[in-house]
Amino acid sequence: MNLSNANGPANRTSGSVSITVTEVSVSYDGPAVLDDVDVTVRAGSHLALLGPSGCGKTTLLRAIAGLEPLTSGEIKLGDEVVSGNGHHRSPERRRVGMVFQDWALFPHMSVAGNVGYGLARAERGSTRVDEVLEMVGLAGLGSRAPHTLSGGQQQRVALARALAPRPTVLLLDEPFSNLDSALRVEVRTEVHRLLTELDVTTVFVTHDQDEAFILGDHVAVMSEGRIRQLGTPTELYARPVDPWVAQFVGEANLIVGIASGRVATTAVGQVPLSTDHMGTVDVLLRPEDLSIESGDGASIELIEYYGHDTTYELALRDGTSVRARMASAPRFTRNDTVDVHFAGETTVAWRVDS
Amino acid sequence: MRRRPPKALVAVSGAVGLLFIAPFAYVVTQNLRLGADFGEILTDGDTWATLRRSFSLAIFVSVSAAVIGTGLAWTVVRTDVPFKKLLAVIAPLPLVFPSFVGATALISGFATGGLLEQIVEPAGISLPELRGFRAAWFVLTLFTYPYVYLPVAARLRHLPRSFEESGRILGRSPAEVFGTIVWPQIRTATSAGALLVFLYTISDFGAVELLRYDTFTRKIYANQLADRGTAMAFSLMLGIIALAVVAAERSLIRRDPPAPVATKGRSMPIALRAWRWPTFAAIVAFFAIAIVGPVASLAHWTIRGVNATRSTGSLALSSHGLFDAITNTVLISSVAAIVTVAVVLPIAYLSSRHTGRFSDVAHGLVVAGFALPGLVTALAIVFWVLRTDALIGLYQTLPLLILAYVVHFGAQASGAARLAVNTIPRPLEDAARMLGAPRTRRFFTIELPIMIPGLIAAGGLVLLSTMKELPATLLLSPTGFDTLATEIWASMDAVSYAQAGLESMALLAVSAVLTWTLVIRVADRLD
Repeated sequence: MNLSNANGPANRTSGSVSITVTEVSVSYDGPAVLDDVDVTVRAGSHLALLGPSGCGKTTLLRAIAGLEPLTSGEIKLGDEVVSGNGHHRSPERRRVGMVFQDWALFPHMSVAGNVGYGLARAERGSTRVDEVLEMVGLAGLGSRAPHTLSGGQQQRVALARALAPRPTVLLLDEPFSNLDSALRVEVRTEVHRLLTELDVTTVFVTHDQDEAFILGDHVAVMSEGRIRQLGTPTELYARPVDPWVAQFVGEANLIVGIASGRVATTAVGQVPLSTDHMGTVDVLLRPEDLSIESGDGASIELIEYYGHDTTYELALRDGTSVRARMASAPRFTRNDTVDVHFAGETTVAWRVDS
Repeated sequence: MRRRPPKALVAVSGAVGLLFIAPFAYVVTQNLRLGADFGEILTDGDTWATLRRSFSLAIFVSVSAAVIGTGLAWTVVRTDVPFKKLLAVIAPLPLVFPSFVGATALISGFATGGLLEQIVEPAGISLPELRGFRAAWFVLTLFTYPYVYLPVAARLRHLPRSFEESGRILGRSPAEVFGTIVWPQIRTATSAGALLVFLYTISDFGAVELLRYDTFTRKIYANQLADRGTAMAFSLMLGIIALAVVAAERSLIRRDPPAPVATKGRSMPIALRAWRWPTFAAIVAFFAIAIVGPVASLAHWTIRGVNATRSTGSLALSSHGLFDAITNTVLISSVAAIVTVAVVLPIAYLSSRHTGRFSDVAHGLVVAGFALPGLVTALAIVFWVLRTDALIGLYQTLPLLILAYVVHFGAQASGAARLAVNTIPRPLEDAARMLGAPRTRRFFTIELPIMIPGLIAAGGLVLLSTMKELPATLLLSPTGFDTLATEIWASMDAVSYAQAGLESMALLAVSAVLTWTLVIRVADRLD
């Protein structure tokens, strides 16, 4: 369903635009905070910037917003260059909406005052504020002061404020990190639903892999100022480019194997690979691709029961520790001995440089 | 659940509150009992003219100090003006100038043989006489704007950067963002600073006396020997005005829910573009007038005095007594600072930990002490002591002078001390308690160490103010106990500009060192 059709012209955005980031670097006094970053976001799609703190993801978001001057490179919104070549369009003229990590609700204004802040003078008295508040499920709360609302409600005020001027691009900086975990899932789902209904190009920053995978059409994994890998969530999870990305986007066992073409021989037996390799490799084994049954290849060190599945921590016979996840209640007990084998389709491996 | 305040704390706070109110209570009752000449004073046209002069000077100075202080703070903190770190260090420096030293510098600079006179004389320009309203306005503005600058700059630094950035991203220009987002967030800091300036100005004695601008304080001082009743009646009126203005500021200024204090990362400064260097030049020119000019004028006279002493052999400049005055100044100020912090700490603790009507009243009494001009405080204490047989022995002793400082500057320390108390994380106290530490051990091992930086800042403010204080020091100093302030005063009285220059330079040097170490470095704690 598309809200802009359902609710008539009032909610029409002026059409989303693509974002093109080309060879962007940002540095202050020391090492580069962003180092030669390239990324393109298709109009209307959602990109997650995922990485540990200090990786430059927030700086990239702020550069797109116009809050961070570039040292070199270029940023285009649609066909227009907004940053680069000595040109810097100020943030207020970019038609970008942004939700800040701390939400930055103006404490001296009512909810409606906040939401209407970005509207053109003529529109401030219109019904736009009420429409947007209704859109985010806060109808009737316009006269309240922001600090009287719950955390989840404040988050939605921030979102409504960013969306009210019908931005062509929406930027979210760790939008859920200020919420406690129970609320986070609920608000995340609501925002997810809203974003899929709105036609607005979205870039958001997160250090939470779940958030990135759920909300992002594409995910850019960043570290040390660079994009290590850009792809769809499924590509990232199944075909990470290096062990670091593999571990950052999910639980990963890396075990040594001897590859010969598309097969590697490891401590858990033969593992099919997606690409050709020869010699010693590190093989990625996702816990859910490992299956265990009674046997004597490994012993169970720990059992973690999550309700929807059970994770076993196993010590293989050569001492390697691996985790295996089974979609069932615990069928073994600690110290049982089991056999482990790879039950997935194919996986990836990396040559061990020695 | 709110904890009940310990009884001992309540008792001590009550006693401190009484200390602050006792002299005034006594004076008020005395006035009411004797108050024969009140009617006459109120119907005297001269009284109202004086009132108007005092009031208009205070209003003009507070408005101009508010504009300069706020504008300078915003420019230095938020724009890309060149050398902003250096400017931020220099900006609060005029704080070290007592108003009478500023006036001294101005008068001696304009006087025959003064720096400015010598500069313009060859051009055939004769300087206007520097007296009255405009001179007082000028001098007081130059040396009081830091009272606005410091809290506003601290507030701006603490403002989450996302506020302004949100405004910008939502399509508003920097000017609009300032008006709709920044100003509402800093205006309480501006108005609190302007209130301090107002109180400083209306109670200022040194500058208006030197510049011959007839205000209440001049009248009170002139009358305090000849006609104590009139002086007391004027004092009461001045006190009432000061308290009324404090009350008005409290009720008129809308207090918005405070913004969350959360700064991390740097925010992009506002680009001044073509105005970058002109702005810088304007600020430098302003500093030249406010800081370099007065110092140069004082130094000029000092050097002239040194040369004259050397060439003629006669004594144009005497360093006799200067070192005593410096020692006296530092000692009495330090003692006053320590005593003041110790005295207000119980109330600070009570009012930030156990909010309630009692603590509000106690805190209000301390603040009122500052609202009352130092001259009034001193006169009240003199009246009180001289008419109480048990206390009469205290007259003209150092403890009485320190008592006057404590009562007058307690409010300055109390604000900073409250902030210091608030820096103690509550869980720490609970943790210490769970580990079995009794009250006194918790205080000395947990709370005091955490509060120390804040308390030093509190003491630093009192120390500086004490060094700059003139009227109470003049009235209450024991005979033969000279401070730099009273020495400068005496030298100006004797039209000995060279001597006044030397003593002023000494006072500035001492208070600049102390301001730097105790106030500016910890300015963020005074927000």
